[in-house]
Amino acid sequence: MIIVNYIASVVLVVLGLYVIMTKKHLIKIVLGMSIVDYGINLFIVSTGFNEGGTAPIYKMSEFFRGSFFVDPVPQALTLTSIVIGACVDAMALSLVVKLYKQYHTTNSDEIRRLRG
Amino acid sequence: MSYIHFPVIAVMTLFMGAFLTVVFGRKSKAVRNILALAASCTAFVLICCLIKPVLIDGEIISYWMGNWSPVEGYAIGIGYEIDQLGMFFALITVFTVLMSCIYSIRYMERDSALDFYNVLFLMLSGSVLGLVLTGDVFNMFIMIEIMTFTSVGLAAFRNNKAGSVEAGFKYLVIGSIGSSMTLFGVAILYGNCHTLNMAQLSSILAGKLTPSTLMAFALMFTGLAVKSYIVPFHTPAADAYTTAPASISMVFSGMVNKAGVYGMIRLVYIIFRAMDKSSVQLLMVIFGVVTMFVGVTMALAQHDFKRLLAFHSISQIGYVITAAGLGSALGLTAGLFHAMNHTLFKGLLFLCAGAVYYAAGTTNLDKLGGLSKKMPKTCICFLIGAFSISGLPPFNGFASKWLVYQAVYEKAVTSGNIFYAFATVAAVVVSVMTLASFIKVTQAVFFGQLPASLENVQEVPALMRLPMWIMSALCVLTGVFYDQVNKWLLAPAAGAALNVSGYIDRMMGEGYAAEAGVVNIPVFAARFSFWNPVVWLLLFIIVLAAFCLAIIGSSGDRASISSAPADAEDGKYATFFSGEKSMPSHVSGSDLFWGFKKNWKGYFKVMDGIHSGRVNDYALYVVCAAALITVFVFGFVR
Amino acid sequence: MKLKEGIKETNVVVKSGADMVLPFAVVFGLYVILFGTVSPGGGFQGGVMVASACILIYLGYGYKATTTVINREVLEVNEALGAIIYVLLATCGIFLGVRFCQNVFYDIGNVGDLISAGTVTFMSFAVGYKVLTGVGFLLLLMLYLLGDGDEEEEVDEE
Repeated sequence: MIIVNYIASVVLVVLGLYVIMTKKHLIKIVLGMSIVDYGINLFIVSTGFNEGGTAPIYKMSEFFRGSFFVDPVPQALTLTSIVIGACVDAMALSLVVKLYKQYHTTNSDEIRRLRG
Repeated sequence: MSYIHFPVIAVMTLFMGAFLTVVFGRKSKAVRNILALAASCTAFVLICCLIKPVLIDGEIISYWMGNWSPVEGYAIGIGYEIDQLGMFFALITVFTVLMSCIYSIRYMERDSALDFYNVLFLMLSGSVLGLVLTGDVFNMFIMIEIMTFTSVGLAAFRNNKAGSVEAGFKYLVIGSIGSSMTLFGVAILYGNCHTLNMAQLSSILAGKLTPSTLMAFALMFTGLAVKSYIVPFHTPAADAYTTAPASISMVFSGMVNKAGVYGMIRLVYIIFRAMDKSSVQLLMVIFGVVTMFVGVTMALAQHDFKRLLAFHSISQIGYVITAAGLGSALGLTAGLFHAMNHTLFKGLLFLCAGAVYYAAGTTNLDKLGGLSKKMPKTCICFLIGAFSISGLPPFNGFASKWLVYQAVYEKAVTSGNIFYAFATVAAVVVSVMTLASFIKVTQAVFFGQLPASLENVQEVPALMRLPMWIMSALCVLTGVFYDQVNKWLLAPAAGAALNVSGYIDRMMGEGYAAEAGVVNIPVFAARFSFWNPVVWLLLFIIVLAAFCLAIIGSSGDRASISSAPADAEDGKYATFFSGEKSMPSHVSGSDLFWGFKKNWKGYFKVMDGIHSGRVNDYALYVVCAAALITVFVFGFVR
Repeated sequence: MKLKEGIKETNVVVKSGADMVLPFAVVFGLYVILFGTVSPGGGFQGGVMVASACILIYLGYGYKATTTVINREVLEVNEALGAIIYVLLATCGIFLGVRFCQNVFYDIGNVGDLISAGTVTFMSFAVGYKVLTGVGFLLLLMLYLLGDGDEEEEVDEE
């Protein structure tokens, strides 16, 4: 139960949401989305920590049947979430490149053709 | 092969169809169409084979992947649990996919890069089917993510049209915030309960509402509400439904919306079992009423055909959320019935909009008109859809809307809360405004004068008309035979959502629910009392009182309604009725209710300012609503 | 910034740096994929490391050399092949009469060997292959999108 990790992850999520809400440059908005994802990844992997536990890999570092190890499930969840974050980044950046070619600006105040 | 493998095979068939299209379908159109049709038909047939065991015999299929059954009462594997509620939504899903697949064979032939279209479409279908069939909350999150990505790709598909890529980007930003909140909620739940299986979560959270699980509830509720596109999370949906191809708009409004609604019902009814708390009911009904009202008033001010249909879609989902949030069996039945009918009639309307675009080349209401002479069959299908959505008998919209009114009214009577009476009035008024809006659209597109540019418009091909005919026939049949629909589809689904101990027992072993102390929520039985005269009379009195209040409240403006001077700078509202017969009239079709718009100018100005088109504003609404929901949940849910 | 012509004259330091790092990156990435079940790592991690070969060749030699060495169409088809192999391996369970994704190869090898963990080993290979080709395709697509000149895009107004 590492308190610092949890506080840091909440700070990251809040900062990321702040960036999405206030910054005008499209690439900064994409970076904000990534920061939110990284904050949540830190949170997930911190929930699996057991104090004094060993790595859950067989045949490695004093691991035998009945030993006390950290929870491997959040590690799998975090890995999946990192992959999803990478895909979101790739897709968002491709859309930003396409938007720049069409509108010739990356200011979100001017990309407003659909409104009302 | 026994039927328990069928759900997984159905989901995997759709995904395999997508992968095979990448390998084989890059050059040849016939191979692509055959693969897409084969995958959709296989999934449809496999899910229909499950109707007999699940819906008729009442069995719940419980399938652990890799045969990892629970060990010492702890669920360690990913489980697929198909109960009647999931089966109901799965039937809606595969039907919509099949109709859209048949329609898009001819509709998309003028676009290029169609192999990408088929791949994205099949992956979208597979992900929604996986979402409604799964019994594991992290698997549900993964399917939500696949659904978001493919929807973004499909919304931005026609990237040579103005606004498509912009709509896709906004959809991605807002959808990503929603998914991240859902993941945060799932992570908090895992940290508390050390399990990801919905049945075991439901038994662990029995009455144990600590502050961290309340936070998880608020976050997951917000995340799934973003996926259902209720107000104030509806802003990317309006853009995406407009720019996506019509076969995809139909899938969005018929399937992707319902996936979000299914997620919310699973969350509130089964995982947290919080539906008997009046604060949670109030939360859902408030969202529903606001959604209904904002959706339909924004729709009255639109100039684009598909954007108008998108706002109506948002408004009808408001009906579903209001009815499902009442916590009674009648309310849930009404909500599910309206969800099914919404797929049918809204899908039909979007297909007609696509047919108009295919034939005429535009969806701007100011440029269309008089198409009923050139496209009579499309006009009939559109009229059936318009009558259904407005709630005219004998179509299905009437049956489900009447159930919604009855459910909300019954809740107002039994709970004594004045807010539910107000919600009943709001539901009826919104229905009237829906009818007004569709009169406007029908006059603008199909009746009226035919502009010179649309002289050689032809009827659409037969393969595009076939799904429209099938859906119109179903609209009429489900409206006339509502009793059969209730007996075979709705009553089992609503019963499954309320019978939580059966769900838990089937997944984790007999007797598990009783050990954990799970008690079913006490609810009222559903009854169809269409002909109770007291209900009619009281409803009529309420509506009459509301109407009188409206007249008295606006008595100051009545002089200006009859004699409106033409403002010099407000040329939009200027009318010119004299002149030659051959000259087109200056009241364009989309401004049929210009008087209404003029009287409510302040409201429409505020609403236009809110829908500003900036992605930062839309994100601000999401975060503010999430904060309000969190405060409400912490303050009132005990 | 026209990327296609910008990196025509590469520095000899960058070119030799890419030359030296590239074989290590690829071999180490393949090691991480293959030994995914007995040491930390697995499909995704190793796949991304091997896909960094695309960026290294681009940095050292420019866009034209990258397209000569690596073909984008082949990468796209192979990615789907990796996915198909994964689904077929998972469906082996249904063909043999047990559940989906069940461990049907559980009696191959001893604990601690390379091929010992059953179906998961082969699934990890399939995932590694898919990520390898997929991320490589993604990187090449981005480079193509950025470097293909700054032409104006035609947009149909409504």
